[in-house]
Amino acid sequence: MSYQALGIITSEANYIRVEGMQDYRPIGAFSFLGRYRVIDFPISNMSNSGIDRVHIYVNSKPRSIAEHIGSGRHYNINSKRGKLQLLFTENNDPNSIYNNDIAAFTENIELIERANREYVVIAPSYMVYRENYKQLLKTHVESGADITLLYHKVDNAKSAFLNSHVLNLNHQKGVVSIDRNLGNTKEKNIFMDTYVMTREKFLEMIKKAKSESSMYTLADIVSDECKEFDVRGVPHKGYFAAITTLRDYYQANMDLLDIDTARNLCNADWPIYTRTTDTCPVQYFDGSTARNSLISNGCMIEGTVENSVLGRSVKVKKGAVIRNSIVLAYTEIGEDCQLDNVVVDKWAQIKHANKISGSPEAPVYVKRNDKL
Amino acid sequence: MSQSNMLAMILAGGRGSRLHELTNTVAKPAVSYGGKYRIVDFPLSNCANSGINVVGVLTQYESVFLNSYVAAGGRWGLDTRDSGVFVLTPREKADAGLDVYRGTADAISQNIDFIDRYNPEYLLVLSGDHIYKMNYAKMLSFHQEKNADATIAVIGVPIKEASRFGIMNTAEDGKVVEFEEKPEHPKSNLASMGIYIFNWKLMRKMLIADMKKEDSSHDFGKDFIPVMLNEGKRIYAYEFKGYWKDVGTIDSLWEANMDLLNTNELNLADHTWKIYTENKIALPQYIGPEAKVNCAYITQGVEVEGEVTNSVVFTDAKVGKGAKVVDTVLMPGAIVEDGAKVTRALVADNVVIGKNAVVGSADSQNILLVSENVEAK
Repeated sequence: MSYQALGIITSEANYIRVEGMQDYRPIGAFSFLGRYRVIDFPISNMSNSGIDRVHIYVNSKPRSIAEHIGSGRHYNINSKRGKLQLLFTENNDPNSIYNNDIAAFTENIELIERANREYVVIAPSYMVYRENYKQLLKTHVESGADITLLYHKVDNAKSAFLNSHVLNLNHQKGVVSIDRNLGNTKEKNIFMDTYVMTREKFLEMIKKAKSESSMYTLADIVSDECKEFDVRGVPHKGYFAAITTLRDYYQANMDLLDIDTARNLCNADWPIYTRTTDTCPVQYFDGSTARNSLISNGCMIEGTVENSVLGRSVKVKKGAVIRNSIVLAYTEIGEDCQLDNVVVDKWAQIKHANKISGSPEAPVYVKRNDKL
Repeated sequence: MSQSNMLAMILAGGRGSRLHELTNTVAKPAVSYGGKYRIVDFPLSNCANSGINVVGVLTQYESVFLNSYVAAGGRWGLDTRDSGVFVLTPREKADAGLDVYRGTADAISQNIDFIDRYNPEYLLVLSGDHIYKMNYAKMLSFHQEKNADATIAVIGVPIKEASRFGIMNTAEDGKVVEFEEKPEHPKSNLASMGIYIFNWKLMRKMLIADMKKEDSSHDFGKDFIPVMLNEGKRIYAYEFKGYWKDVGTIDSLWEANMDLLNTNELNLADHTWKIYTENKIALPQYIGPEAKVNCAYITQGVEVEGEVTNSVVFTDAKVGKGAKVVDTVLMPGAIVEDGAKVTRALVADNVVIGKNAVVGSADSQNILLVSENVEAK
């Protein structure tokens, strides 16, 4: 008999802002690796872990997430016994100090109270990683801990993960506190915003946080409770990305051009589900060149593509050269245009700009629907 | 049955033995095409896009896979209330023994009870082995305008090839005056595409009559249409303009795939008339650091580390480092290992061309079907 959990997928915190991209949709709805959206990763992790009730919180601009998730059938969740629910929050100004996770949970507390599952697994919509929650839940129950938190040990915390939380652990992997990453040390245990606890404990945390402060988040209250309760960290192994800046987004896509890493994240045993658009295969015309790239269906390639990720139905015209770039769906890169270190948002048309180039640290962003 | 007044029946036919090993375990309509599709996706998607909700697929050969494939009607959007895709194999009935389908018309006759459940006004009969995009609603409008008893879709073929087809000789307004099956001296170049619209009430009566005839081979082309003409029924030819290909042989299946390169007359990228298919779980295609891809049609889930020229590569196929794939069709899961060379071939599903093996040649007359693993000599 395996333990039954309600899955909860949370929005990004109100202080996170990805330049450009987030003007149009929450991070979970960002296109990722050509044919996915970031949120496909947490939902698929849950589906693959046998979690068949999932609450997905959307704290701003719900259109693209609602459209993408739809009935949720493509996530392989039993359509009768299981359920994917999108929960919108009334306070949907993404940067309002009051628009935080506790406020969202409180607004939907009845649904949490009624959910007929003993445990909750909470994961963020803006991180990309693979984790078997069935195993994590088992670890949690068997350890006897009150709350289990997932973390990833990194050695670049001075320059990356600056919007993330870190776990301060004692030698027994007990969590002493949760802090923001101040970028002062290289080695940090980055908290993956992933929690396991009983539903009862979760409800208790929500109520405590609410009575403490309207600005309190789940991380804040759990940090407080570390003194009183048994809160433990479990290390995560494998690929991990937190998408909190344009650079993170760019880098995560680039990281996965390493096909072994990508295959580890998404394969026949651990599929990442997404909505199909029934797009035809990629057409390469005479004289085209492609190298070290992930290219989604529907692309029409007459020019050159190198070290890049292309979304669906991108047109690369004759003489166009795309290097080290992330090009989102339905864009057109016109004749002889050159891109290097660029993120091109959906439906953009680049026709007159001969050369656009940024750097890996500061990729150039081209707006959705823009004509250049 | 309230929504649609036309029901479609796809004649998925027999084994398709001219496709050799490709149809060892699946019926011809289930054979893969165009990187990610199966042949039956075309008539099914055309039906869905034309607003036809109920489709019967008639087959008597290896129906198990086909059945599970089309049963997921949601793939083509055929899963709303009153919609569905049904595989209809010969059945044993209370008043008759188990019988095979004796001919194309007989396959419909044996399913009169199924069609009656929906009581359609029109019946659309389709072939399961043709690649094309067609709006059957337009054909139905034509049928209604002409006040026809039956309408047959035709396509202009080069006159020198016309003797390979069933040819319609028509009056100016498109009325069929004569039908000749594979005529030695064709009088017209309008070939039947094996797509028919019938008024169901009349058809039903005529099918029952045909079933009882001992000298009938119960075939639409040979028996049913000639009888209709003899009886003075109004048959019209509806001329279709666009890409259409019969994929009955290895060579024609290969050609139909090659037609997707360069000009791509079929235009599968058209967002207004998508062809729907099974949604495979796969990463976008990966083109490796040393790969060369020139003139190719490649779908998601494929990994290319070598060279691909003038070829169509299907889901989950792999081309290893230093391998060369030229003028070739790699079916789903086909693997060309490092250093291997494949030329003018059609490599069947999941076949492995071993390291440094060489198959096919640029000047072969026919396309080589590779249906078993190959190792270097």
